[in-house]
Amino acid sequence: MKLRVKLFATLRNGRFDIKEMELPDECKVLDLIKLLKIDQKDAAIIFINGIHGDFDSLLKENDEVSIFPPVGGG
Amino acid sequence: MLSDIELQLLKRHFEIQGWDISKQEALKNSSVFVAGAGGLGSPVLFYLAAAGIGNIKFCDRDVVDLSNLNRQILYTISDSGKPKAHIARERLLQLNSFAKIQSLKGEINESLFEDEHFDLIIDCVDNFETRHLLNKISIKKNIPLLHAGVTEFYCQVTLLIPGQTPCLACFLPEGTKNSGKGIIGAMAGIAGSIQALEAIKFLSKTGESLVGKILFVDMKNISFNTMNIKVNPKCKICSHLAR
Repeated sequence: MKLRVKLFATLRNGRFDIKEMELPDECKVLDLIKLLKIDQKDAAIIFINGIHGDFDSLLKENDEVSIFPPVGGG
Repeated sequence: MLSDIELQLLKRHFEIQGWDISKQEALKNSSVFVAGAGGLGSPVLFYLAAAGIGNIKFCDRDVVDLSNLNRQILYTISDSGKPKAHIARERLLQLNSFAKIQSLKGEINESLFEDEHFDLIIDCVDNFETRHLLNKISIKKNIPLLHAGVTEFYCQVTLLIPGQTPCLACFLPEGTKNSGKGIIGAMAGIAGSIQALEAIKFLSKTGESLVGKILFVDMKNISFNTMNIKVNPKCKICSHLAR
């Protein structure tokens, strides 16, 4: 299946900001995060098509996945 | 009613196309709670006071530390060791003595919101735990929450309106920890300035707001992105609200 993946802030370092990716069917967010070699604690906010997702969320064709690290200073 | 001196102080507002006395009076009659007077709170408080917001209450538990001064522009070296809440109030009144400015040195808690009306809570805190507390207060008291977070060269900002948009817990899991404390001071300035602008626009009903949208700014690579965000139907904090 095809996905559109967006990374933000420090997650872009050595990776990309936006990319079309091809993943096997039945993949979960955790599979994507492992593929991208992102530490789970660094994936603080996950949106799938603008709705909160978690590591166990099942992905489907043409989903847009956005992953943010914790940007929590003030 | 705005005095002649206030009208002089705010002269440049009235040179903005579409700005008029009703918008300025809306700001004068507004009540805002600012949670935190640090890196975000400094520009937020400065610009809200400068813009003629009539009632500003803020809370901060800390004293000024030298390591704050790369970004917390309300303070100077001579303020080191003094409570931020007290110093900031003095500075803000020097800028706008027509505003009612209240400051509290201490922790944020629900009792601060018991007997007072606020049109907006502005999240300028430095940890996710307090942000979730502010989110619960926002939902319980039905007060919009203007969220921001900042680190290194990055920030995120969104305006959360109970019953209309997602709440913070819709997309930010409780228990999330900060990744680090590194920050370029000017980035906190950008994030806080965006918050101040959003607050002024929201309170004066001007332009479009970050309602149902999250703005993400990456100044390392110079990009501004907004993304539409939706309510999480499984949210434990706000899914009971009618929409």
